[in-house]
Amino acid sequence: MNDDPKRITLEEWDRRYTELRKAGMGEPDYGGPLRRHVEDGDLRLLGLRYDNSAASLRLWNFLLTEKDRLHQARARGKKIVGAMKDLGTVPVMAYSLPEVVAFYPDGAWWIPCVMELSAGLLSIADSLGINESFCPVRAMLGAFVTGAHFPRPDLLTCSVGATCDDFSAIAQRLNGLGYPILWWEVPHRRHPDPDEEAVTLPGGFVAPEIQVSFVKSELERLRRAFEDFAGTHLDEDALSAGIERANGVRRVLAELRRITFTAAICPLPALEMLIAEMLAIHFCSDQGEALVVLNGLLNEVKSRVRAGKGVLARESARIFWVNPVADLRIMNLLEESGGRVCGTEYLFSHALDEIPEDMPPMDALARMVLADPMVGTAADRAARVSSDIRAFGAEAVLISRIPGASHCAVEGTVIGDLVRSQCRIPVLEMEVPPISDPIQPTLRTRLEALIETCRELRKECSVLE
Amino acid sequence: MMNTLVYVCPFVPAEWVAAHGMRPCRLLLDAAKERSLSGVPSGVCPYAHTFMSRALFEADAAAIVVTTLCDQMRRVAELIARSSELPVFLMNVPSTWQTSTAQQLYIAELKRLGRFMVRLGGKSPSREQLAEVMREYDTTRSRIRAARGVLSARHYSEAIATFHRKGSADLAPPGAVPTPRGVPLALVGGPLMANHFQVFDVIEKAGGHVVLDATETGERTLPTPFDRRQLADDPLMELAIAYFGSIPDAFRRPNSELYRWLKRNVTERDVRGLILRRYVWCDTWHAEVQRMREWANVPLLDLDIGDDDHDSRTASQIQSFLAMLK
Repeated sequence: MNDDPKRITLEEWDRRYTELRKAGMGEPDYGGPLRRHVEDGDLRLLGLRYDNSAASLRLWNFLLTEKDRLHQARARGKKIVGAMKDLGTVPVMAYSLPEVVAFYPDGAWWIPCVMELSAGLLSIADSLGINESFCPVRAMLGAFVTGAHFPRPDLLTCSVGATCDDFSAIAQRLNGLGYPILWWEVPHRRHPDPDEEAVTLPGGFVAPEIQVSFVKSELERLRRAFEDFAGTHLDEDALSAGIERANGVRRVLAELRRITFTAAICPLPALEMLIAEMLAIHFCSDQGEALVVLNGLLNEVKSRVRAGKGVLARESARIFWVNPVADLRIMNLLEESGGRVCGTEYLFSHALDEIPEDMPPMDALARMVLADPMVGTAADRAARVSSDIRAFGAEAVLISRIPGASHCAVEGTVIGDLVRSQCRIPVLEMEVPPISDPIQPTLRTRLEALIETCRELRKECSVLE
Repeated sequence: MMNTLVYVCPFVPAEWVAAHGMRPCRLLLDAAKERSLSGVPSGVCPYAHTFMSRALFEADAAAIVVTTLCDQMRRVAELIARSSELPVFLMNVPSTWQTSTAQQLYIAELKRLGRFMVRLGGKSPSREQLAEVMREYDTTRSRIRAARGVLSARHYSEAIATFHRKGSADLAPPGAVPTPRGVPLALVGGPLMANHFQVFDVIEKAGGHVVLDATETGERTLPTPFDRRQLADDPLMELAIAYFGSIPDAFRRPNSELYRWLKRNVTERDVRGLILRRYVWCDTWHAEVQRMREWANVPLLDLDIGDDDHDSRTASQIQSFLAMLK
């Protein structure tokens, strides 16, 4: 069996799976061939290219069986929290309680892509007055209505304030349909006035102490709600232990990102890296297993780097990716066009940074909330992107615009302008719908142009040297 | 005037600005007059776009105040701050309202706005000075409320907008007191611009009559009358209660108070139809259209307003709506 890393089709995975099983590959209870998910309706899988490692197989299976895990958790008597919008903080609190699991209904935004619109979620959203002028996260409404994609949560939370209007409006629509929501406020992160005490947040942003205190008081409200519905005390020790576990996941992911994005030859494709990053948000409903899955990927990547092997050509253009993309296929398309992802900012970098452990846990979590790149200025976000571009050595930036998203109209322009001037590298902004097939030739042309520009700049640099 | 603070958000209390010795001016934008900006990306709400045009060419103000009522305005504030020579103050107005901490945040932001004005040359008011200014504004608002039904629907709404802009209102009927005729309607939604007030005429011409202006520029965003005893004891708290605690809006979470306010007024005024005006790309109001349609006991017309108003299309929609109601 040839174990050289490469990107393969689903058909090739069928054969590879048989080979790996014959060779003695062990699998967790959620394991199995990827093909079965297609039979469950995940039609997009047919058109994707995958990493061929057992570690990546486990990652995909872990991702695509989350619904089963949530139902199993409920059957075992666990309480389910549906956390909306904050992307990373509420699950850290929820998983500090042994009998609670948390997930993000927001994740339904990828269902139209993964199921190639066959689930009808966007049509349901349409019928509820939430049409295509809203971000694809409107699929969440359909998922709640059908009840087919996740169990109805016992408690729904939603952060509002400095959030995108799409999400806030869609969550309000959900609330209007009879789903009670615990709303909590996250203020727009501002720079401290000269006479205010400043606090440095994880990731490097700065906020006034008064905002940290306010968010802490909002988190205390959440803590009381968790205690009430779980019927148990969520004390400081439990929270500290929860933060420590979350940081365990984040540390592995940080190492995985560092090695993958800086390796001379790309050791893991962009698609698998995107999914790996998503595990940091809510651990795909099993914190312990998420760590196992990430460690598997990290070991695979280390071994490939040691062997000087990878999945893409050495000369691939190094692209920094901003915003999650509505169609997963585009991550493949970048690689087919001659690029590789070297750095990302998928709107949840605050879920990747380690949470401080040298202070009371609620203070640490409040800082994490305010470190959310979406709650501050686009200039702040651009600064973070620029800093990561330098760290990972990216040669160009791709800003994938989310259709209908209220923040994208202005934010992309600001980030593009600032990054261009701060890093002196080309920037491409392009909108990607959940199913981009009809416009893929156009997208490919634009990606190829970006990559060609990177190559030309490389030549100019080598001449100057 | 160089001590003028310009803004468009109803949650910025004019009294607070005036008590600091500044002139509050809640702008009434006019898409027909503002300069068109090049390079504005697609997807920006026309109102936010017009506000940005106005703010970038604002020459007579001391500063621009923007709030976090909507994501687009929050982000437009950043664009203005990057390009304008005027200082920009971005005020956090919480979306949540059911907790004391939300109210405290609002008050903290008012105090921060106060310090900002002092840095601009304003003066921090004493409790008595603030209470005095609040009484003056409250009295004028009472006069405005009393003028409903005396003025034509358009004149009434324009009087409110003028009061927001200037702090005073011309409440003398321009001619004979109109006799309300036609189907009673409520106009609901985001802010009107100066060039949009003709919608009142279009409605009347089509056989309707606006008895409730629930737009952001209309009576919906007038704060409730002050409690005069509380006003003397703690004017800032009373200010917060009247503005943050009472103005119903679609952006609030939950926004149940908007529906309570509408129900009360729609019933009292025997409204027979709702016209919801929203700007293209305004998710906040757009998401309410279907819900409001399901909630209301009366028909609802959804009017989306784009960059280039098609008056004839709007008129035609209103005519069809009223033909159905008659």
